[in-house]
Amino acid sequence: MSKSRRNFILNIAAIIVLFIILFLFNSYGTNYQIRILNNIAVFITLAVSYNLVNGICGILHLGPNAFITIGAYTSALLTMSAAEKQMTYIIQPLVWPLSVLHTPFVLSLIAGGVMATIFALLISFPVFRVRGDYLAIVTLGFGEVIRVLANALQSITNGPLGLKGLVPYTNLWWSWGVAVVTIIMVQKLINGSYGRAMKSIREDEIAARAMGIDPFKHLLLAFLISAFFSGVAGGLLAHLITTISPTLFTFFLTFNLLIIIVVGGLGSTTGAIIGAALFAWGGEALRVVERPLDLGFLKIPGVPGMRMVIFSIILMLVIIFARRGIMGRNEFSWDWLLTKLRLGERG
Amino acid sequence: MNDFFRLEDLVMQFGGLTAVSDFSITMQPGELVGLIGPNGAGKTTVFNMITGFLNPTSGRVIWQGQEVAGLAVHKITEAGIARTFQNIRLFTDLTVLENVMVSFHQHIRTYFWEAMLGLPTYQREEKRIRDTAMEFLQEMGLVHLAKEKAGGLAYGQQRRLEIARALATRPRLLLLDEPAAGMNPHETNELAELVRQLRDRHSLTIFLIEHDMKFVMGLCERIKVLDYGITIAEGTPAEIQQNPAVIKAYLGEPK
Repeated sequence: MSKSRRNFILNIAAIIVLFIILFLFNSYGTNYQIRILNNIAVFITLAVSYNLVNGICGILHLGPNAFITIGAYTSALLTMSAAEKQMTYIIQPLVWPLSVLHTPFVLSLIAGGVMATIFALLISFPVFRVRGDYLAIVTLGFGEVIRVLANALQSITNGPLGLKGLVPYTNLWWSWGVAVVTIIMVQKLINGSYGRAMKSIREDEIAARAMGIDPFKHLLLAFLISAFFSGVAGGLLAHLITTISPTLFTFFLTFNLLIIIVVGGLGSTTGAIIGAALFAWGGEALRVVERPLDLGFLKIPGVPGMRMVIFSIILMLVIIFARRGIMGRNEFSWDWLLTKLRLGERG
Repeated sequence: MNDFFRLEDLVMQFGGLTAVSDFSITMQPGELVGLIGPNGAGKTTVFNMITGFLNPTSGRVIWQGQEVAGLAVHKITEAGIARTFQNIRLFTDLTVLENVMVSFHQHIRTYFWEAMLGLPTYQREEKRIRDTAMEFLQEMGLVHLAKEKAGGLAYGQQRRLEIARALATRPRLLLLDEPAAGMNPHETNELAELVRQLRDRHSLTIFLIEHDMKFVMGLCERIKVLDYGITIAEGTPAEIQQNPAVIKAYLGEPK
């Protein structure tokens, strides 16, 4: 059996095991556990697609929150019924044709991704004229512009009131289905010729150009693909939280994603997955530290925000002891696992 | 008039500084020409103008009948001009094999979505690229290092990898910017032999910059000498060695 065939079978097996676990949680888990699993999946999708631009292309892009916002609003507007929209938009009515459009959930997700991609295309021309810190600031500005627009365009986004009472379509199958598809497609891209071209730009843009790589074309490709998956994840997030408003998608969200991929290992999809899982699960697990603590001899009152202190400490420890993140630029591979388990050929 | 490769009165000015003035040369297919001159003479600037990194202030670059000055760098590479860099510029975190494979990307025939879906057409192309890249590594004697990170190679190996990577873009004109820099005499001799072989095997035309006089004199059929951006001499190695202007530029005025 060839190695690629073996890996293919193992991948399929891993996905089946994943979905069996999800099935068990779906049947016997508490709502709280299911909620965390959904969060993990959405953050995996976001982190893996964000890593494509920041880790693989080496571009400091600080505006994924813009694409998540666009995806969330687009998707939400398409799944709400006309009657719901009429009830929600009390200050200014929603513009036609958005006021009557109503699509199934899956179409709304795709539309969210496509809309995010269109916006990404529009801003890519100014964005990729610059590099480094300047690019970071342009994308950061774009994220803010979208947030302000979401606040101001009353007749499209319902302004600061946001959209409430969305149908919670996002379940484990949707969130993890999207996450798995994103991981597979992004990995295929990264490991192939297009991915190599992107990495060559990250390593040395001048040399990459001399080897016939058009930097604009490839950075744009990564940027658009990343925006698409971010938009889809935004749609999932909207139908998970069921209430969206402009305050939900601030720079803080981008900042969290950046922490996830840096802690996981910039440029590693495996790292992005681990980072996202740790973040989404750890954020909940650490709630313990915010509760009042009674040790018998010592009473510690609950301190709101304590989680963030612990998080910062963990972040600093990772940066000190694993300077390139948990995974560095390495990826999980079956070869590595089998060697560890002493099942594969050594060498 | 030869339209294979011709530079006509190339001028490069940076603000008030003229880095290169009126540089002209005509090369025949298969020629091996050297460009020498003291540090700061403008040799690399000439290469940068040919490969599109700099847009000449005036003058023309004619390549296979077409004016290419001012085209994007990757367009010029696609047109068949490849180069190496004076200060090695490898993709250090990629493997040796991947470094060479990057050069094939410009000719890729499959689309990105074929890659993302893992279609068979794409996988066949990926395999073809991998196999051909291995042949280039074989030729440069780097095959045993294929899976190593490029940044971990010894200096001489890095120089060879730079050449392999440039060759993999399938050029007809190869520009080598100080290929022998930092090599010991033994390595330099090997390199000279290799350059000659590459020219014959890949029917290349080679234009190279080098400071190692023994290397240049032994290898090149024709040499151009630059000093302060001005062409001070041109001719066969023997003529250059006798040329008083060249001796003056390198050694200064006799007392």
